[in-house]
Amino acid sequence: MVYAYDRIDERMLADRAAEFREQCGRRLAGEITEDQFKPIRLMNGLYLQLHAYMLRIAIPYGTLDGAKLRALAHVARTYDRGYGHFTTRTNLQLHWIKLRDAPDILDELAKVGLHAIQTSGNCIRNLTADPHAGATADEVDDPRIWAEAIRQWSTFHPEFSFLPRKFKIAVTAASQDRAAIRVYDIGLRLHRDEDGALAFEVLVGGGLGRTPYLGPTIRERLPVKHLLSYLQAILRVYNRHGRRDNLWKARIKVLVASLGAEEFGRQVDEEWEASDKAAADLPDTELARIRAAFAPRGFDTLPRVSAAFETLEADDRAFARFARHNVKPHKMAGYAIVDVSLKAPGETPGDCSADQMDLIAGLAERYSLDEVRVAYEQNLILPHVRLDDVPDVWRALAEADLATPNIGLISDIIACPGLDYCALANARAIPIAQDIARKFADPELAETIGELKIKISGCINACGHHHVGHIGILGVDKKGEEYYQLTLGGSGEDDASIGQILGPALPADKVTGAVDDLVAVYLRERQGSERFLDTYRRAGLAPFKEAVYAEAH
Amino acid sequence: MKALTANRLDDGEVVFWNAGAWREAFVEAEIFEGEDAAEAAEARAKGQITLLVEPYLIDVAPVDGGLAPVSYRERLRALGPTNKLDHGKQAAGGGGIEVLAHARGSARSTGRVNLIKRK
Amino acid sequence: MPRLIRWKDGRAEAAEDPFTAVADDEVVPPGDVIISLTRFQVEGEHLLGQGRQVGVRVEPDEAVEALAYDLPRIAVVALAFPKFRDGRAFSAARILRERLNYAGEVRAVGDVLLEQARFMVRCGFDAFEAADGATPRQWAAVATRFHHVYQRAADGREPAFAERVRA
Repeated sequence: MVYAYDRIDERMLADRAAEFREQCGRRLAGEITEDQFKPIRLMNGLYLQLHAYMLRIAIPYGTLDGAKLRALAHVARTYDRGYGHFTTRTNLQLHWIKLRDAPDILDELAKVGLHAIQTSGNCIRNLTADPHAGATADEVDDPRIWAEAIRQWSTFHPEFSFLPRKFKIAVTAASQDRAAIRVYDIGLRLHRDEDGALAFEVLVGGGLGRTPYLGPTIRERLPVKHLLSYLQAILRVYNRHGRRDNLWKARIKVLVASLGAEEFGRQVDEEWEASDKAAADLPDTELARIRAAFAPRGFDTLPRVSAAFETLEADDRAFARFARHNVKPHKMAGYAIVDVSLKAPGETPGDCSADQMDLIAGLAERYSLDEVRVAYEQNLILPHVRLDDVPDVWRALAEADLATPNIGLISDIIACPGLDYCALANARAIPIAQDIARKFADPELAETIGELKIKISGCINACGHHHVGHIGILGVDKKGEEYYQLTLGGSGEDDASIGQILGPALPADKVTGAVDDLVAVYLRERQGSERFLDTYRRAGLAPFKEAVYAEAH
Repeated sequence: MKALTANRLDDGEVVFWNAGAWREAFVEAEIFEGEDAAEAAEARAKGQITLLVEPYLIDVAPVDGGLAPVSYRERLRALGPTNKLDHGKQAAGGGGIEVLAHARGSARSTGRVNLIKRK
Repeated sequence: MPRLIRWKDGRAEAAEDPFTAVADDEVVPPGDVIISLTRFQVEGEHLLGQGRQVGVRVEPDEAVEALAYDLPRIAVVALAFPKFRDGRAFSAARILRERLNYAGEVRAVGDVLLEQARFMVRCGFDAFEAADGATPRQWAAVATRFHHVYQRAADGREPAFAERVRA
C-alpha cells in the first residue's frame, strides 16, 4: 500500500546521515564556522530557534505507517520532550533538539525510511499530496505514485539545489482539492483527458508570503510520461531567470507574475522542446515498480452499510457528531476515512504527544491497513477504517483526546509555532489559536456556525496560511508589541482566493472578541445554507468591519 | 542597561554572560551600565565559536521586582514557550522567573535590531 | 597562479593552471588566457588567430548558448559563482555538456566550496578553483560519498531506476 524503501533508497539515507555526522563533528570541533555550517545544517532541516535547535523531519506526501509513526514517537521521547508538531507542510517539527544528538536521530529515522532531507534550504522541498490519496472515490489515480517519482528525482538534484529560493510542489488526483495546489510553486492536478488518458494540469507560481498569488495554469494536459522532463524545464527556466537580487522577490511566483503566465509557459515549452526528454523522464519499468508499491491491498468485500456504525450513530450523540465531521466516504464499500483531530480546544494546533503517536500507530496497524496520513490542516488521518470498526477507533481516540469532532469547524485552527518557538516570527500564534478554540469549544455552537477556517501566522512568511483562511490572522510587530491583522474571505481550496484586510491590526487581547463579532455578523446575515465564506462573499467586508471596529471605539 | 546573550552551540540553550562565564538564568546575567564594557564582552563572545552561536546584546530595563529584557521576544527566550509552561527556563520557577513573567511594556531591543542588520 | 583541482575518470588531482585570467581592463598577456564573454565577442577571433588557447568566462546572467558556434575552438568555459548560493552555473554547465555537447574544460570559478563538489561534478564541471582551499582528496571524498544517484545528469552516472532494472 505504501512505497517501501529498497536498498538503494536506504543507502541514500545512510550516506546522508554519515555525511551530516561528519559535518556536525567538524562544527563542534571548530573546524568550520557558524556561517559555513548554517547552510549545511539548514539543508538538513536543522534550525536554531529561540530555545533550542528544531529538527524538521520530512514526511513525503504526508504518508506514514505504524513503524514510521512509532519511530517518530521514539525520537520525540528520547531526544525531545515527548511531543512533536505537525506542520502545514505535513512535516514533523521537534522543538527541543540538541545539536550533538542530531546525527543519532538521523540514524534512528533512517532505520524506518525517514529523514530530514530538503526540509529547508533553497531547493525542492518535501512534497505534499492529497491526504485522501488511495482512499477517496473522487480521484483518477493515486497521486502518491507521481509524488514518489518526484521525490526521488528531486532528492539531491545536482542542478536544482541552489535555486533562487525554496521550491514547493503539491500533487492531487482528485476533483476536490485537499492539497492547496493553487498556493504552491508548482501545483499538479492529475485528470483524464477526453481520450481517457491520464494528464497533468500544471499550475505554476502560486504562493503565500509577503505577496500572495494563486498559481495560473500553464499547461492543461501534460502527458504523464513527460512529468519529469517538464518539471526539469520549469525548474531550469526558474533557476536561470528567477530573481536573486532580492530575497522577497526570488520565489517563482514573482517571475511568473512579471513575465505573465503565457510568456512563462512559452519559455518553459521552448526549454522543454530543446531538452532530451527521454533522458529526463522515468522509464515505464520504474513507474510500474512505484505503481505496484501503492497498489490497493488488504481490502475486504464488505456491505455498503454497517449495523454497528449505524446503531451507535443513532444511540450516541457524541459519536453521531464525530461521524458527521470526522468520518469521510471511502472508495471501497464498508470503509471510511477517519480524521484524527489534533485540535482539542485549548491544546496547541498540530501538536501530538509521543504517547498519542504510539496510540495512533497501533490503531493504524490494527484498523487502517497500516496507514496514517498527515493533512496540511495539521490533523492526522486513518485512511482505511472499516465502518464496523469506526466505533472502536472513536472510543480509543476519544480516550486520548484525539476525537474532537471539529474537522473544518471554527476550532480546527491552523497555527504556525509563532514566536513561542520560531526565530523568524514577529508575534505568537499558538495562544491566539488556543484562546479562540476555547471560546468556541461548545460543539453545539461550533456545529451551528458550520464550516469556518481560521488560519494564523506569526509572521509574513505565512506558514499558517493566513491569506487563505476564511478568517486569516497575521501576527505583526507594532512598535515592539504583538498585534494581529485580520483578513477575511480567503480560501485555499477549489474556490481559492486571497483574503482581504479587515482593518487596522488589533492587540492580542482583542482578537478573540473580534472573531466573536465576525461570527455574530455571519449568524445574523447568513441566508439559507451559506457558509461564513459565502456570506462574506455576498455581503462584503462592510458589515464585518463595522462590527469589529465599532466595538473598538 | 544591557545584557549579553547567545544560544549554546552544543544544545541550543539560551545563555547569558556573567564575567566571562555563561549562565542559563536571566537573573544571573551581568548587567552592563556602559556601552564599552558591553561591547568588549560581546567581542570576546564572538570569538568563542566552539561554545556559542550568534552572541548579541539586548536592552534591559527595571520592572516590578527587578530587571527584565525590554523586548517580549527576549523575555520569551528567558522564560520558554507560553503554550507549555512546564518547558524551558520557566519550569524551574522562582522569584526571577516571576519577575520576567509579569514584566509588561516592551519595545524592540537593540540587540535584535543588530541581529537583523548583520544578515 | 592558482592551483586547480581537476576531475578526471572519477578522481580528483591537483594541477597547475596554464591559463591566465584576464580582466576586461587589462592588456592581454602572451600565452593561454581566459577572458570575459564580452571581450571574446570582440577580440576572440583575433586571439584565436594567434595560435594560443582561449578560454571564456561566463557570468551567471549571461547565456552560455551565445558560445554555441565557437565552442569547438574554446579550450575552457569558466562558469562564475559570484556567491555559492547563486546556482545558475549548474544549469549552464549541463546545457554546455548535454545540449551543446561541449567536450572541453568546464571550470567552476568564484565562490566555489567543497560542499558543492558532488553537485558540480554531476553537472559536468571538471575543473575547480576552490575558494575554501579544499584539497583534491577532500574534493573526491565529497564528490563520491553517495553510492547512488536518482537522476541522469552530465556525469553519465547510472541513476537508481536504471540500476534497479539491471539488478
